[in-house]
Amino acid sequence: MSSAPSEDGFIGSERRDAGAARARNRGPTHPTRAVAAIGIVGIAMTVLSAWGAARFDENTEERLLQVQTRQAAAVLSTASLVIQQPLQAALDVQAFTGRGNASVFERGMGTNVGTGADQFVSASLWQRDQGRIRGVASEGASQGIDGRSPEGQAFLDRALKSPTSVVQRVVVGEQIRLAFALADPESGFVVLAERAVPANRRSRVDQDSAFADLHYAIYLGERTSLAELSTTDVDPADLPLKGVTYRTDVPFADTVLTLVTSPSRHLGSTLSQRLPIILAVGGLLLTIIAALVVRQLVRARSDAENNTETITDLFQRVDLLYEEQRDLFVRLQKALLPQVIPNIPQVEIASRYVAGAQGVDIGGDWYSVIDVDDDRFAFVVGDVSGHGVDAVAVMAHARFTLRAYLVDGNSPQQALEKCSRQFDIAVDDHMITTIAGIGNWRTGEIVLANAGHPPPLLVTDGNVDYASLPVGRPLGIGPSSYEPATLTMPEGSTLILYTDGLIERRTEDIDVGMRRLVDVVAPLAQDPLEALIDQVLTSLRDEDAADDIAVLALRRLSS
Amino acid sequence: MAQFSEVVRDDGVCVVRTAGELDIAAAEDFIEVVRASLGRCGAVEIDLGDVTFIDSSGLGALVRLRKEADSEDAHLYLFNVSAATDRLLRLTGLDEYFDIRASQS
Repeated sequence: MSSAPSEDGFIGSERRDAGAARARNRGPTHPTRAVAAIGIVGIAMTVLSAWGAARFDENTEERLLQVQTRQAAAVLSTASLVIQQPLQAALDVQAFTGRGNASVFERGMGTNVGTGADQFVSASLWQRDQGRIRGVASEGASQGIDGRSPEGQAFLDRALKSPTSVVQRVVVGEQIRLAFALADPESGFVVLAERAVPANRRSRVDQDSAFADLHYAIYLGERTSLAELSTTDVDPADLPLKGVTYRTDVPFADTVLTLVTSPSRHLGSTLSQRLPIILAVGGLLLTIIAALVVRQLVRARSDAENNTETITDLFQRVDLLYEEQRDLFVRLQKALLPQVIPNIPQVEIASRYVAGAQGVDIGGDWYSVIDVDDDRFAFVVGDVSGHGVDAVAVMAHARFTLRAYLVDGNSPQQALEKCSRQFDIAVDDHMITTIAGIGNWRTGEIVLANAGHPPPLLVTDGNVDYASLPVGRPLGIGPSSYEPATLTMPEGSTLILYTDGLIERRTEDIDVGMRRLVDVVAPLAQDPLEALIDQVLTSLRDEDAADDIAVLALRRLSS
Repeated sequence: MAQFSEVVRDDGVCVVRTAGELDIAAAEDFIEVVRASLGRCGAVEIDLGDVTFIDSSGLGALVRLRKEADSEDAHLYLFNVSAATDRLLRLTGLDEYFDIRASQS
């Protein structure tokens, strides 16, 4: 059993090689790399689309803020008219009467002066009189602007020169007021009214108003410092407004109101607002799903590749085993063929065994040459039907059985008859065709018996023909009898025995193959025996034929 | 490749038609088919009319079947034997071993 460990070792090393090959091949399609690639691409696309959606939403917000702020500005511009309206009414009344009438003024303005949000803190009526402006009437709390002071005179004078009302910030103690003055240049009347700005300057606006959804800060004038702040809906400490803001001017009296806004909540559609998040979450989910699917596919492919490799490995190993087995059988077969052909006086002997084409199905062809006694020698050519190691075993059995009978002094037909009792196709599955012969080298006389085997070719000077032999049944059918035939080989003649592999072709009748052998041998009749056999095999051996061939040639030499 | 088909004739004889190459590759199947016919019919005719090639394994299969038929007291006939097949049977000394029926056509 010394061969077992080396065989195991050999198979083991094959396995390792195959494993290494798999490891190398798996490299480029490793799941982790593919998943990482998908992940990077997926996340990049997700970030990009989410950022794009966010930018789009921001632009939308800016646009909507602009639209809404303009609406708010329009509302704000009417505020100036609303404030101006009672002042105008008072002026109109005074202009109608022609001279300053305090009680009329007080009655007219009474409802508009008080502590309510929409009321003036104070109101007073003035009239220009020969370069001076004198007070006519006063209503409500004390005036922040004293019309008699130089600043007051200047303010009233400004009103008289302005086609619109004039406005000015006034601080009275803790209170900040806006002082409005409206004049009628023709009659010279000026109405001065002051309005309080809420202490914290915050004013909550109605949800229905144009200011809904907006944070806003309104400044008197064009500057947006805290000092100019008129009203806001946020804590003044949080000003200026942050984030997306929009600024616009509204004409107000003889100056402007600067309106700065920012959205107090999302102005656009909820979808637009949520789209970046939807895209981010959806993109991440898709990335994860894609990565998982890819990992699955890569694994499946890798598995398939591994399977293919395993199958290829197996085939290669099976091929290798077949080859080994075949080598073993061929060695076995050769071992069963004679290693040394006995030297027979006056007889030259050449023999060949050619294994069939690919595959382990070696055949059971054989030949023997046996030294019987001083004058006589025996020879056998045989063919066991079928292929494989069983056929070789049957061949060995037949070869040694026949040899024993022939050495024992049996004639060829006796040897075959005895052998026919030894073999049964029903038991060992194989049938044997064989020709046994005994020759006398002194006389050239040869006795042959044939058990179903193709006839030998006798090559004499100028004639090549098959020996005419009675044919008995192959061995394996059952007890049979055989009829001997005797022929005499002239000096220089050659007897060629062979197995059917030499003449048989699937596509033609056996006669065609037999004629071909004659045609090939005829021109070679006088060639040296070894060369003749080689040439015959070269000419007739079908490279693709599965059947094996045994050839035994005997040439009687000149004495 | 060889193909086999079986018909049971009116006279109770099973006819196994064989076509193609009756060689080592076909021998086992051929034996199975004819063996089954021998199990059904007392007499089996093997129609070799469409056989293009017979090797020693094919001949061996015919011999095995003949031996099995004999041991079961059944009859096995060869039918439609071509000249080439007849030549092969003579060459191998088997022409006398089989009962060969002449072609009916």
